Amino acid sequence: MKTFDVAAVEKTVKIIAETAIANEKYFSDLDAAAGDADFGTSLATGFKVVLDKWEEYDRSSIGDFLLKVSMVITGHVGGSSGPLWGTAFMKSGLLSKGKSSIGYEELAKMVQTAVDGIMARGGAKPGDKTLIDGLLPIAEKLEKSQNETNHSKLLKELVEITAHTAETTTSWVAKFGRQSFTGERSAGTPDPGIVAISTIVKAIAQS
Amino acid sequence: MKKFVNDPSNFVHEMMEGLVLANPQTLKWEKEFNLVYRADLDPNTKVPIVQGSGSGHEPAHIMAVGKGMLDCAAPGNVFAAPPVDVALEGIKRMKSDKGVLYIVNNYQGDKMAWEMAAEMAEAEGIKVGSVLIDDDVAVENSTHTFGRRGVAGNFFAIKACGAASEQGADLDELVALGKKVNDNVRSMGVALTGCTPPAKGEPIFTLADDEMEVGVGIHGEPGRRRDKLKSADEIIEEIFEAVHTDLPFKSGDRVALMINGLGGTPISELYVMYRKAAHLAKSKGLTIVRNYVGEYCTSLEMAGASLTLLKLDQELEDLLAAPAECPIRVF
Repeated sequence: MKTFDVAAVEKTVKIIAETAIANEKYFSDLDAAAGDADFGTSLATGFKVVLDKWEEYDRSSIGDFLLKVSMVITGHVGGSSGPLWGTAFMKSGLLSKGKSSIGYEELAKMVQTAVDGIMARGGAKPGDKTLIDGLLPIAEKLEKSQNETNHSKLLKELVEITAHTAETTTSWVAKFGRQSFTGERSAGTPDPGIVAISTIVKAIAQS
Repeated sequence: MKKFVNDPSNFVHEMMEGLVLANPQTLKWEKEFNLVYRADLDPNTKVPIVQGSGSGHEPAHIMAVGKGMLDCAAPGNVFAAPPVDVALEGIKRMKSDKGVLYIVNNYQGDKMAWEMAAEMAEAEGIKVGSVLIDDDVAVENSTHTFGRRGVAGNFFAIKACGAASEQGADLDELVALGKKVNDNVRSMGVALTGCTPPAKGEPIFTLADDEMEVGVGIHGEPGRRRDKLKSADEIIEEIFEAVHTDLPFKSGDRVALMINGLGGTPISELYVMYRKAAHLAKSKGLTIVRNYVGEYCTSLEMAGASLTLLKLDQELEDLLAAPAECPIRVF
């Protein structure tokens, strides 16, 4: 069974940060279509600070590492994205606190608890066309793949699933968050949060 | 706008340093996390109470730290919620066998920071309770809020919970008490000018010489409407009416009445307004048991004022009358 140690989690967080920074303009442009055009900048600004402080984090366990990162995200990613993304890292950090290694089973639980945390913090539900709809299919796939032995095959499937989600949710009407202010007009515009998840999963698979 | 300021990015730090230098016997400052807390407190002797919102509202909240009030304040930058690690450190610094209570005004940033800090503290075995304040009747949603904003009514939650915790109330009792205060307190404010955060260097909004913002938020958020300036009595009539009818307060109610200055209005004007508010209260059959005229929750140097009414019962009357000490009330 595939397991992930602190170094593997570190590497993944680094890819998330680098992807957010590299796609600043792309994510902001997506947000400009039906939101307030700050999503890419908010994410990039915060994740730059995450990388600036890279050497300072507690690495005694996966959870301790994620908790430290969560505080930086919450404090430095702007707008509502900060507390929401920070909550995702915090919740998965609390679940993996003290653990030096995790398998798919724990990973699935970490993604699920992150999604639950985002829902509790922000108030959005599945189907509202938010970040939550981008993350839920990942949690479901991991849940079903606990005995998977072929890691690259699983990653490839996750890339397909998240790309498909970004595509299918584009036609949805946003019911929560900044995009929902435009009502029916949000149909046809991709949700920047869902696209960000898809972009990040792709970057992880490519590394 | 001219200000007494050095490097604006050090503004909050320097204010806190000054505060603890002026109160060496009672206050301590932890520079790294920018916490101010009671020097004399053994947290295990009572439920400690902590609050932290953006700075710029002084005396709220760093100057409300003292016996019978807050035990610790964990502020953010001017008009910015405290970072989660600051809020968490505030809770951890106050770690007590009896749990820790935090009070928070209803702003998204503040709420989320404290909720996250509380969840992390609970994961470390600290019991945490909370009180949410949303007393501003002006608007239902605004720039930084879902639901109503928390403003000067917050003072009464601090005072009542602070007194009760000194008298031995447990965490659940304090949570219930804070909710009772919030359920019975209503406020609304009016701005005559904008205000200038030191690091921003320019006003966050401007009002013409003959204009006022009715229902302004304490970060300059828009209120109900912008209108031509009226007389003091007309302004108080309008905000008294808005506050009075919202609860609603009824003839025979015993109340606390607060006229709170927003930072740039002299106390003389606050008493002109108190005079009218007291007459109105009497005409509505309210008995003013306690009054508060001065600055409790400001917006930097904004000229303006807010009016708060709190409906009292015997428990609240006793708690408001209990002794308290903090830097703004020691003579």
